[in-house]
Amino acid sequence: MTTLWDTTGSAVVKELAAQRRTGGAVLSGVALTLVVVADEARVAEAEEAAAGASEQHPCRILVVVRRQIDAPVPRLDAEVTIGGRLGPGEAVVMRMYGRLALHAESVVLPLLAADAPVVTWWHSDPPSRLTTDALAVIADRRITDSASAADQLAALRTRAQDYAPGDTDLAWTRATGWRATLTSALDSVHGRRGDAIRVLGGRIEGDPGAATAQLLAGWVESRAGARLEVVPSARHSGPSGIDSVVLQLDQDEEVRVHADRRGGAVISQPYRSDATMALPDRSLGDLLGEELRRLDPDEPYAEALEVTTGVGGLAGRASVRSHVWVDPAEPHGAAAPAAQVGDGSPHGEAPTVPADSEGADEVAEHGEHDVPDPTAPESRPEQPEESESGAVR
Amino acid sequence: MIPNPLRDPRDRRLPRVPEPCALVVFGITGDLARKKLLPAVYDLANRGLLPTNFALLGFARRDWGDQDFAELARDAARNAARTPWREEVWERLAGSVRFVQGSFDDDNAFDELAAALGDLESSHGIGGNAAFYLSIPPAMFPVVLKQMERTGMAESTPDRWRRVVVEKPFGTDLASSRELNELVDSVFSAEDVFRIDHYLGKETVQNLMALRFANELFEPVWNGHHVDSVQITMAEDVGIGGRAGFYEKTGAARDVLQNHLLQLLALTAMEEPVEFSADEIRTEKLKVLRAVSLPEDMRRFAVRGQYEQGWLAGQRAKGYRQEEGVDGESLTETYAAVRLGVETRRWAGVPFYLRTGKRLPRRVTEIALVFKRAPHLPFADTDTEELGNNQLVVRVQPDEGVTLKFGSKVPGSVMEVRDVSMDFLYGEQFTETSPEAYERLLLDVLLGDATLFPRNAEVEASWAVIDPLEEFWAGTTPEPYRAGEWGPRAADDMLAAEGRRWRRP
Repeated sequence: MTTLWDTTGSAVVKELAAQRRTGGAVLSGVALTLVVVADEARVAEAEEAAAGASEQHPCRILVVVRRQIDAPVPRLDAEVTIGGRLGPGEAVVMRMYGRLALHAESVVLPLLAADAPVVTWWHSDPPSRLTTDALAVIADRRITDSASAADQLAALRTRAQDYAPGDTDLAWTRATGWRATLTSALDSVHGRRGDAIRVLGGRIEGDPGAATAQLLAGWVESRAGARLEVVPSARHSGPSGIDSVVLQLDQDEEVRVHADRRGGAVISQPYRSDATMALPDRSLGDLLGEELRRLDPDEPYAEALEVTTGVGGLAGRASVRSHVWVDPAEPHGAAAPAAQVGDGSPHGEAPTVPADSEGADEVAEHGEHDVPDPTAPESRPEQPEESESGAVR
Repeated sequence: MIPNPLRDPRDRRLPRVPEPCALVVFGITGDLARKKLLPAVYDLANRGLLPTNFALLGFARRDWGDQDFAELARDAARNAARTPWREEVWERLAGSVRFVQGSFDDDNAFDELAAALGDLESSHGIGGNAAFYLSIPPAMFPVVLKQMERTGMAESTPDRWRRVVVEKPFGTDLASSRELNELVDSVFSAEDVFRIDHYLGKETVQNLMALRFANELFEPVWNGHHVDSVQITMAEDVGIGGRAGFYEKTGAARDVLQNHLLQLLALTAMEEPVEFSADEIRTEKLKVLRAVSLPEDMRRFAVRGQYEQGWLAGQRAKGYRQEEGVDGESLTETYAAVRLGVETRRWAGVPFYLRTGKRLPRRVTEIALVFKRAPHLPFADTDTEELGNNQLVVRVQPDEGVTLKFGSKVPGSVMEVRDVSMDFLYGEQFTETSPEAYERLLLDVLLGDATLFPRNAEVEASWAVIDPLEEFWAGTTPEPYRAGEWGPRAADDMLAAEGRRWRRP
């Protein structure tokens, strides 16, 4: 492990190459690059999860911690490790200070594994419009976690309004175990009856404010056309906010699945004795690992999100985002004058791209592009669609 | 109309889970059951891949109660499970484990088994579906199958399926395998019979099909125009262990060549299936097996060997004839190598060299395609002296993956081309703990997916290849080789006769 203080992107690229050369027989195959956007307070948690996921899917991990955007002088500290605390692969943890934090992609771009998919995961509050973060624009898959928001349902609505194919949310991943169990339970009803099943209705007991519970209800409705209500449960429900699910079927039958608090779910159905299936609470790394397994757009998620939030037309949206520049220092998001960077700072001017790129690499050529971003197309701020109040039904 | 509205083909997060069913294992106290089956069942449960209503029934001669059996099963599963041990998962599984004691010719025991299955149908809601795993010596098959027929356990009806899983060896020659197939097929219908060749459950073997049929890069050169020869190797460093009785009668050709190696050959040489389904893949494999030709000069191109004492991995190893339970004059082979042809337009003239042996330097299984040399080299002769044939190697085990060997310039001021290799390590790109072969195959049986199981016609076609070899070898003395060597000299001569040599795996 090497820590580079007050460094540049090109130095990080060089250090990574140097470590790879001296490391000997280290992991050489990389299936994807995982960009983790984390807050300083939660960076350890994010690192642990990323390391866990990278054991399932060897990837290059780039952790971006944005700090003190108002720091007068931009600065980059980086920690480069191969095969250590951050899993078997290559990893770089970068802390960015000052205006550099707004141009994180200038450091990240040259570090991406060649022609491999890029996944960006926000283990912090994601921007309400992902397109305003360049790290979302370069990614093929974007992972957020609405369950970590204070108002989970509002967060879900935001995600629906902003959705583009390739977006996904860990609140949805937490529902996978429940979805598998419910599907399997209906399989078994179908196996007994031999003919088709209709779901007429039902309810989810748990935390009505939990994104996962609402998404599960939305999913059942999107598949079966029956509305499920999320009602508060007497017991405290786990991280998924789901304690039990009841599905009313045709022929006056009912299937009930409830968590047994010991890593299992008990399935009750007519004409059968109760059966228990594994339904453990999963670690963050495990959830992330599931997300990395498939990198194509997740249509069932889009449909569930659509039904849950009432925001329509998700699947038809363009899957490519283009960067929209927003400057937090400017309340209206107008472009800041280029001269502002480092101006009047007691620490002198911000580092600039060297005139001569000898011995450097492509990062030197990209450098820090100052506002406005020349690569971004004409920004045409979209008005978010008017959502019905309380769209989460 | 969709039978289950929650099922969605696009929803690939949801696992394939079998219908409610029971797994009945005959010979549950045996080695295979303890080392492979029980751990595989636990791993499946732990991954949430078993149906909500599932029961495990063990049948063996030992006098045990459900409790003793649950204890044994727990230890077995715990010792060899690949997924982390979670007591609560096991407890749940143990709740649906039953043991039936009896010998295979005991009518009462089978009636009891049938009754136990009936009980589970109502108490555990297994819906009458059951898979029977015959983890017993083939000599016992007739008795057990007759019993199953008598009790009506083997009948599939529209409401329920009954399947049977058979382990190799599938007979000892064409005649006996026909007999066995007829016997099994008379009790179960052909599509309900699953013959396990655990090699086909390995990720790399399945990846061979992805490599060939999902890419543009390899298929154009995958033929006799570009391929010089194919070498398929399965080497083991171990001896015969405690299996002298079985091995003396079997030998390397029947034990490995007939099933594993010919299956690997079939997958390597087959044409593209019309679709990726059990029927189509098996059809293509069968075509290849039927097109396999034997060498005319068997004396030279079919070699068998037997290991003598030697040193292996720093330890002294006994010779085969000195092993316990082996006849001092034994003529059983522990090594077999043969040059086969595949008489199709794609492969005419390309030799397929197959070899297998015990007490070879290391355990390795691989398929190597050796390409022809470039028709013209614009370099000076001295520049390319160290350049060999390009090779594409599919490593089946260990270190599952693919290696590509090709020429590259040696850095420096002179032009010099030398072989280098490019490695793809399966576990490195996708470390997602690839399921154990038995786990995958067991799941496929419960799902009724026969893609990875050879059909009886394939087994018979394979025996048709092996029988003439055995006939030729009968009564001859195997060539000796030292334990820890890559086989007898005659095997090297076999390739040298055509200007080739074995690849050191």
